[in-house]
Amino acid sequence: MDFSEQSHQTEVRASLDKILREHCSQECLKEYDSNFKHDENLLSLLSSNGYLGLGLNEKYGGSGEDLYDLGILFEQLGYHAAPLSLSGCLVDVAQTIQKFGNEKSCKDILGSIIAGEIYTSAILEPSNQDPENPITTAKIENDQLIISGTKYLSEISSMAKSILISVNSSEGVLLVLVESDKVQLTELSSTANSPIFKVELDSIKVSRESIIHEPGRGLEALRYLIQINMVMRSYIALGVTEKMTSLVAGYTSEREQFGRVIGTFQAVSHRAADCFIELECLRLVNQQASINLNTNLDCENDALVSKIWAGNTCHKISYSAQHLHGGMGVDKDYVLWRYCLLAKECELINGSASQNIDRLGINLTTNQ
Amino acid sequence: MLIQLNQKQIKLQNELQEYFESLITPALKAELNQPEHFEGGGPEFKKAMRTMGSDGWIGLSWKKEFGGKELSPIEQYIFVETVMRTGFPFPFLTTESVGPMIAEHGSEWAKEEIATKILKGELIFGIGYSEPNSGTDLASLQTKAIKQADGYLINGQKMWTSLANFSDYIWLATRTDFEAKNHKGISMFIVPTDDPGFSMSAINTLGDVRTNATFYDNIHVPETHLVGELNQGWSLITSQLNLERLALVNHGPVEELYKDVLKTAQSTKINNDQCLSDLSWVKHNFAKVHSGIEALKLICWKQTWIMESDQLNMAEASVAKVYGSEFFIEAYRLLMEIMGELSILKNDSDLTILNARLERMYRTASILTFGGGTNEVQRDIIAMAGLLMPRTR
Repeated sequence: MDFSEQSHQTEVRASLDKILREHCSQECLKEYDSNFKHDENLLSLLSSNGYLGLGLNEKYGGSGEDLYDLGILFEQLGYHAAPLSLSGCLVDVAQTIQKFGNEKSCKDILGSIIAGEIYTSAILEPSNQDPENPITTAKIENDQLIISGTKYLSEISSMAKSILISVNSSEGVLLVLVESDKVQLTELSSTANSPIFKVELDSIKVSRESIIHEPGRGLEALRYLIQINMVMRSYIALGVTEKMTSLVAGYTSEREQFGRVIGTFQAVSHRAADCFIELECLRLVNQQASINLNTNLDCENDALVSKIWAGNTCHKISYSAQHLHGGMGVDKDYVLWRYCLLAKECELINGSASQNIDRLGINLTTNQ
Repeated sequence: MLIQLNQKQIKLQNELQEYFESLITPALKAELNQPEHFEGGGPEFKKAMRTMGSDGWIGLSWKKEFGGKELSPIEQYIFVETVMRTGFPFPFLTTESVGPMIAEHGSEWAKEEIATKILKGELIFGIGYSEPNSGTDLASLQTKAIKQADGYLINGQKMWTSLANFSDYIWLATRTDFEAKNHKGISMFIVPTDDPGFSMSAINTLGDVRTNATFYDNIHVPETHLVGELNQGWSLITSQLNLERLALVNHGPVEELYKDVLKTAQSTKINNDQCLSDLSWVKHNFAKVHSGIEALKLICWKQTWIMESDQLNMAEASVAKVYGSEFFIEAYRLLMEIMGELSILKNDSDLTILNARLERMYRTASILTFGGGTNEVQRDIIAMAGLLMPRTR
């Protein structure tokens, strides 16, 4: 048993914190409140410092396959509310290709991702509760796939070279890398102004070689993608709620009412203590899920537990933080509000806590 | 980072499971099912304790020089977990906290007479801390021990002295300096329950667990019964409580219950085609309990790892206590909801499920949110030590 971080992990956390602190000041973030939320300079800074290779094998230029390393990156991005949406690129595309792609695509694609090239994924579909069973279809004609369907919540798709898409076909589920100029993109406006898109595929034709995995492993690859995405997004949730909790501790330790600091009221300090407890639980279930995913490609229950905690924790800490800050919590000149909006996205993307409790319950009562 | 048990620890777990399977005979099981023996104290219980003593299973956390196993906190956690899963009321407080303290800080008499007998499974202690007017504010305790020529004279009253009805001794916290600040004037004594000045009255609790008010009327003990230095008892109390808190929130029993309720729900027909576990709200309850248990397990493992690496962290210990005790109450509720009215039936009917264990466990859970250091104080600690907020007033 060892809950300590390795020294390289502590270093990565500290230097990421330093870079992001500098580039995600209030002033910097303000620029993205109404503009396209993607900081290209920051992305190339992360790339040139090697942080886009976290969780990727050294032979492709990465810093090692430990998913906890990648978790640190997402936690930090969440903690600083960084204007970068990278889970489609670094998690869905990079990790799935690393585990299921052939040597050539690993070399080409992972190498260019580490160098700062953007890829993304389009997995979720409007009103489809079961992402393992895509409504989007691919008709297989000779060596061609003809894909039709609608995806959404695809990140920074307008900047992406290619988009990884999940489809159903006569050969089962497939993951297909589609060049983005073949699809129609519509930018969606969302609660935290995240750069997300609707992706429409209208009988687009791609070659069979665009399938990223071996024949027959599509569903396995998609399940892995969904699980690792859940866990890495839960790390964003961890960073977001961590920041909100520290804002609560700081604010209530300074704000005075009735002639005393409000943090000395037990009602206040206990609500803050409850945030700390929730946060600790979320951190631990995330750690367990990411570590188990290192050695086992299918850890659905661990991923679900992590997502359930993320959903509940985001909700509880967000509203405790807003409440304990009073008016400051909603004032756009203070820092908290952006985190509250991010928390709602983290809570709902990949399914709400209730939806995932339903899924976990089915697994627990039927698998044993 | 490595979050799992290693091969040696898994082996220990299996070894212990097998050991307890053979130790817990039908006769012992029957005895432990009687309300007056829920906490142990009966002849079969005593026999089992002596067997464990001679098999070398008592004294896990004791130093080797005293005949202990010097197990790491993680292995000790596994031991507590495995015992608790079986339902055997192992007297942890005697063997794992009072015992090592006496072995280390006791007089020569205490080391030879008391510590060795605890190791053999021959002695049980009750804990004398709380008083009618000293609960959460334990350091305000008023039971007195007055120095005399040949020892100490003890007078006072303790509350919630569990196991006193079959204990041989009380591990007693007393005030020995009335001028010093509260926690600087406390000393620990070993007080025999067969002294004529000792008496008790039973307190019957909602969980059918008996506890006691104990009275100390001019009890004279020799100097050898003092443990540790005079007026230095507070540190013995706090190190004992740290150990107690982690044992209280062990994830073993609730996980065992979860598994048993799951099996029951999967085999309970509600109509021709469906079992209880096919209902979606039932599945939801199981999922909620499972995600809660995962967090509890990880919190406890982390806490034992912290103890092992000696990085004392007050906030994390309090997180374990608050989260665990409040989760138990929620988990028992969710599990009882699943079995519905069946879960309120007691042992005397053929409709009873799980030997009425669910019915009994929910009734004993409520003491944990205030016992072993009330959750309000734990939250104060979390705010101060974890969030660096100012002290609550």
